[in-house]
Amino acid sequence: MIAYAIRRLLISIPVLIVSSFLVFAMIANSGDPLEALRVTNPPTPPETIALEAKRLYLDLPWYERYWVWMNNLWHGEFGPSVNVRENINTEVWTRLGVTLRLVLVAMLLALILAIVAGVTAAVKQYSKTDYTVTFFGFLFLATPTFWLAILLKEAGITLNQIDGDPESRMFYTYGDRSVFLDDPTWWNKFTDVAGHMILPTVSLALITFASWSRFQRSSMLEVLGSDYIRLARAKGLRWRKVLTKHALRTALIPLTTVTAIDFAGLIGGAVITETIFGWAGMGQYLIDSVTTRDVYALMAWLLVAGAIVVLFNLIADLLYGVLDPRIRHD
Amino acid sequence: MHMHLRRRGVIGLAVLTSITLALTACAGSGGKDEGPESSIGFADCGTNPNACNNGKIKQGGTITYALGKDVKAWNTLSSAGNTLEYSHALFGVVPRVHVYYPDLSVQVNKDMMESVEITAKEPMTVTYKIRKEAVWNDGTPISADDFIYAWKTQNGKDCKDCKAANTSGFTQLASVTGSDGGKTVTAVFTQAFPDWQQLFSPIYPAHIAAQHGTLGESFLWLEQNVPTYTGGPYKIEKYEPNFALTLVPNEKYYGTKPTMQKVIYRIITKDSELIPAMRNREINAFSPIPTPDLVAQAKQIEDAHWYLGKNLSWEHFDFNLKNPFLADKALRLAMFTAIDRKAIIDKTVGQYAPETKPFGNHNFVPQMKAYKDHVTPTGQGSGDLEKAKKILTDAGYKIEGGKLITPKGETVPTLRMRYTTGNQLRKDSCELFASMVKNLGIQIEIVQTDNLGGTLSSGDFDVMIFAWVNSPLRIGGAKQLWRSDSSSNYGKWVNTESDKLLDEAARTVGDDAKAFDLINKANELMVADAYVLPLFQREMFLVVNKQYTNIRPNPSNHGPVYNVGTWGLLEAAN
Repeated sequence: MIAYAIRRLLISIPVLIVSSFLVFAMIANSGDPLEALRVTNPPTPPETIALEAKRLYLDLPWYERYWVWMNNLWHGEFGPSVNVRENINTEVWTRLGVTLRLVLVAMLLALILAIVAGVTAAVKQYSKTDYTVTFFGFLFLATPTFWLAILLKEAGITLNQIDGDPESRMFYTYGDRSVFLDDPTWWNKFTDVAGHMILPTVSLALITFASWSRFQRSSMLEVLGSDYIRLARAKGLRWRKVLTKHALRTALIPLTTVTAIDFAGLIGGAVITETIFGWAGMGQYLIDSVTTRDVYALMAWLLVAGAIVVLFNLIADLLYGVLDPRIRHD
Repeated sequence: MHMHLRRRGVIGLAVLTSITLALTACAGSGGKDEGPESSIGFADCGTNPNACNNGKIKQGGTITYALGKDVKAWNTLSSAGNTLEYSHALFGVVPRVHVYYPDLSVQVNKDMMESVEITAKEPMTVTYKIRKEAVWNDGTPISADDFIYAWKTQNGKDCKDCKAANTSGFTQLASVTGSDGGKTVTAVFTQAFPDWQQLFSPIYPAHIAAQHGTLGESFLWLEQNVPTYTGGPYKIEKYEPNFALTLVPNEKYYGTKPTMQKVIYRIITKDSELIPAMRNREINAFSPIPTPDLVAQAKQIEDAHWYLGKNLSWEHFDFNLKNPFLADKALRLAMFTAIDRKAIIDKTVGQYAPETKPFGNHNFVPQMKAYKDHVTPTGQGSGDLEKAKKILTDAGYKIEGGKLITPKGETVPTLRMRYTTGNQLRKDSCELFASMVKNLGIQIEIVQTDNLGGTLSSGDFDVMIFAWVNSPLRIGGAKQLWRSDSSSNYGKWVNTESDKLLDEAARTVGDDAKAFDLINKANELMVADAYVLPLFQREMFLVVNKQYTNIRPNPSNHGPVYNVGTWGLLEAAN
């Protein structure tokens, strides 16, 4: 299995190089990062524009710039940002941490909800419970992320106003924490962070839960209809034991792989959720970099997000092998 | 059975939640259309712009003001730092000699300066007297050294590595010297510079810069490091990237002490998130570029004042005179006459700012004393199709089969009209422009550009829509935009008579009325040549929670933060 993993990782290197080259070519030729400097009134001195162009290697052809970028990367640097003070390395890792916090909690919540809902719906197939779970599953599946986020914000603001005190809040609509607290005790800090997390994590979790619960339901139904479950029941095992020990373990395998793949995608940027709730994570970084045509920042994003996707796809494959004894990686 | 009941309970709760969500969403989008109460605080800003929304202040309090961009550079004199939002964030920290007030007057910062005077006309000499009490927060006096540092880093000669955002004015300075223990600064110009009040706003501490290498190195250092220094009413307590900048009072401040305990600039880059944050009191004030949705929603916030006025930015249609067909004045004049500016306004900006009117000057806006409407009397922008056709037929043009034929018998080709990608207002304006000139037999191809600067400077357009942002100091600016050889004169209009007038205006110091008159005369020449058609002024929008006082709209680029040191919590506020 180790050999398989190494082989897969080695194959991913040329994939990343080719994709980075293509993306670099597209971005480098899609606009001028110094445009803002060129349309100021009064005009920016040409000497200043020339110095800035040199700093960003814009005085070189784009393919040479790619080579310079590769060279920088080899030395552990992502290159200069359009924003002169910004260190792309620091920025990427900081933002990855912010996104991880959001995605991990949302995923955990979605996973619990999806397993409970999916299993319940499967066990009670065609019952009112099943129809209700199915209804909500499809409702959230069909709901655009941004709309759900806006609805949740409205609900949060309305609930905050119930007590009549305009300064008290349980739910926050923007950011991952308050700028400052009057009384920064441990408990106040905790409730503040929690208050900021509720709406974005619920928003992301509900959208994710929707598809996962469908997966879990169908997977559970398939397992419940299999011969070994019938055998287990025929042998007189208790229903709860059959469900938890025999059926659920097998039915979790497909969800495990889907979770690993989706997790990688979300780490690359829960773009909409992060933007609407003002979390300075990877998704927002992607948007900002595109807006400012910050080619090196974009490349850093691509590389990190790409590496995570490769890694988690590999983890998904390996997990499949670990969980399902019928599959072995050679 | 017990489990079954619990499941039902969960389902019931879920249904209830979804109903609540739907209902609250409806409540958010509905309600009353306007909030006249919410504008009361700013009601007299039109007649009393420098003192509206004031009241008795109580000590303490915190205000959170939304900032549209994260601060990526701390030296606002550098190209990287020359961003409106950065400048606003640092207004209470780095001091400036002059401040642009809401009535567009340019006033001396009396906290820092004792006096600022033109003491000689030949050569032009300005004497700055700094108050003895004025110090940086480490106790070092604010002195001539700080002025000399600003000059040397921005004159383009002493520091080749300094990426100055603007060298205008500093390049005309022959010397900047200090006397009186550094508290008097004498600036001597090689040639007259009428917009001299734009200089030394702001200044940075030379003694701190001196600790960080050469001029170029220190200029960069100032750009890259969060200031621990301050010469203003506030100092930076904390900066958290992409999150917030927190200011607290500078205990060494030599002027009127600020009353707010904290001023927080909260970074909110997406304007659509401002309203929920304001309603939830996560922010207390914001001033974005307005959109119809934003204005409508802001008016519904019951505990906030709102103000929708005009700023110094103005949209315009520009011709490229390098196009041989557009080189003909008759064609340009006819096209501009066929454009109905009122109709364009009604279908675009007028949807949410009904007070918007076409305006008629390329250098001054109606709020300025020097403003004169030169455009309207010429009939340009009137949408008078018959008059436009007559201009063409008088000049020998013919409209045949929906095509315009020149006096030489050539068909006027399709003209490329450019607008900035993603700017819906400009896109709509272009489409209206195209439909209006179609009646003259002129076809327009509308093409977006994601590189406005490059498109303008390369002249890759026949007609362009974009905006200029004026400053209250307009004498030198007129020459900069419209002189025949100016790099900002993108459509390449050439008129030696206008150049002479603009040059003379730029030499006129201490007689603003004369300078304005010269600029207006030059503008009349340009208007007569139908080169650029001003459309309308853009809007400024300010929303402030009712518990704050002394914060008010300012149409200049100094914005509502021009008096951040005097912002306060209203005594009667909860």
